[in-house]
Amino acid sequence: MRPFFELLKKIIHTGIGKSRFLMASVGLGIAMLLILVAIQVHSNFNQLLYSAKNQNETADFLVINKKITNAIMGQSGKSAFSPEEIDKIRTQPFVQAFGLITSSRFKVVVQAPGDLHFATDMFFESVPDSFLDVKNEDWKWNVGDRTIPIILPSDFLNLYNFGFSLSQDLPQISQETVKALPLQVVISNNITSEQYIGHVVGFSDRISSFLVPASFMSWANEKYGTTREAPTSRVIIKTPDPSSPSLVKFLDDNGYTTNLDKLKFSKTRLIVQTIVSVIGFFGLILLLFAMLVFSMFIQLIIASCKREIQLLVMLGTAPRQLKRYLLKQFVPLYIIIGVVCVLLLAGLQYVTATVLAKHDMVVSVWPGPGVFAGTVLVLGLVYFVNLLTVNRYVNKES
Amino acid sequence: MQIQIQQLMPIPLKDKLLQRTSGIWNQDVTFSPGSFVKIKAPSGTGKTTLVHYLYHIRYDYTGTVLVDNRPWPAYNKNEVAALRQQQLSIIFQDLRLFEQLTAVENIELKRVMQPNPYCTPEKIREMAAQLNVTHVLQQSSKTLSYGERQRIAIIRALSQPFQWLLMDEPFSHLDEENTRRAATLIAAECKARNAGFILTDLDDDQHFSYDVHYQL
Repeated sequence: MRPFFELLKKIIHTGIGKSRFLMASVGLGIAMLLILVAIQVHSNFNQLLYSAKNQNETADFLVINKKITNAIMGQSGKSAFSPEEIDKIRTQPFVQAFGLITSSRFKVVVQAPGDLHFATDMFFESVPDSFLDVKNEDWKWNVGDRTIPIILPSDFLNLYNFGFSLSQDLPQISQETVKALPLQVVISNNITSEQYIGHVVGFSDRISSFLVPASFMSWANEKYGTTREAPTSRVIIKTPDPSSPSLVKFLDDNGYTTNLDKLKFSKTRLIVQTIVSVIGFFGLILLLFAMLVFSMFIQLIIASCKREIQLLVMLGTAPRQLKRYLLKQFVPLYIIIGVVCVLLLAGLQYVTATVLAKHDMVVSVWPGPGVFAGTVLVLGLVYFVNLLTVNRYVNKES
Repeated sequence: MQIQIQQLMPIPLKDKLLQRTSGIWNQDVTFSPGSFVKIKAPSGTGKTTLVHYLYHIRYDYTGTVLVDNRPWPAYNKNEVAALRQQQLSIIFQDLRLFEQLTAVENIELKRVMQPNPYCTPEKIREMAAQLNVTHVLQQSSKTLSYGERQRIAIIRALSQPFQWLLMDEPFSHLDEENTRRAATLIAAECKARNAGFILTDLDDDQHFSYDVHYQL
């Protein structure tokens, strides 16, 4: 075929309208790059959200409770979840793990040791250990132990240190000091009481509550509980994607609420998704125009060589040969455009990964498989449209 | 390959042709493979039209042209192309060379149209020498005289394999000497392929030892 195509080159001039062709090529390049960027940004976002390397501890756990509105104020039963509601939450697709937060049904009084003269009524809650962000080997309690490990919310110490103590002229306390202080914890049910030593083992950013081990909670509720089975009013879930729009919608629809700060990401994500979609959309539009120009270009070549093509066919050139020749004039260029785009994207991705790595965000330095699939798809589409155009016009002239 | 015509009539010439008797028009004729056929035709009786019908580049006729017992319209474009590359060659009356190519490129185009060329380039040079056109091979075909072009067209037609060679006044612009040389070459090439030809011309001639004569 080679020498024949060499001769065809002298007969069928593909040089006609070269600037138009160049523009269409640049258009195709930009279109492809936009589409690939959209695909890659999407993939990067998914990596940031779901990849094990980027598990953002606070973002993955949500404590959910009902919104206290004026309508249900004062009726404590109404803020509790019914078993059906709990089942419904548990079976949502975005719930990876689910835990009930158990509250104490006994009275608690905590006293600071020594000269601090500090005593307060308090409550305890417990969650399954897997939901805790504090890892400490003291976090265990067996029947008979006199020491209860306690986890405090970090916010609580902050409130004390920066709000209460300054205004009351009390000393500020460091986390270490609090951990070193043995607290007197008295639990009672109005009839009998028992004294324990509370030992703060850590501070939780995740759960704003005073936590004790679940084993202690069930034992004490059993022994000192004043009511039977208190209903659950707060649950904790682990979700792979706290910014998932379906999660936000579910909470809104059911009048539930959670730490809204954690959901803020959802808005950011929506904005980024919109931008990425717009980029991808522009890419597709541009691709459409590039394909249109290519088609018109092919049409122009064939129309301008109408007589030559007719004579070639008359001499015995198969339409098949002409089609192959014409496609051969374009396809190498498409492949070059594809390779250049992928290389450009790989460069961009490398830079992005390097920059993000400085902020402790890990994305792959290589473009994802979606990019390669996208390249093949776009090139395949362009080839297919070209093939249709060539087929149509060669058949018309031959 | 067998070429057969049945009741063939050109639509534009119908009225005119029905008034005279013809050995071809409106007859059933079979051209048997390998035979040298001469069709003598006065001007205006559809000589070129007939060649174009046989080569399937004009379709305005009634009746049938059968190639290997299949009517032309039953062949698809790629099949027609294969026939024209392998079995059916032609020398047009108006030659139809590509002006943007040189003489030798015009021949080469036909030679390499198929993946496995029938002739070697040496063979082409030999034929060119035989027809006294070696000196114009590298010239643009635009600059050639009509006689030179005619000989290039003959060589082009002979550069491919064929069972049938269609010739439409192939020697119209050649002097006696060159006509003799061209006819010798054509006859030799046909014999080498066991091929036949159909030649149309205005007058009687002794260029070939024809097997069959028809009056159009």
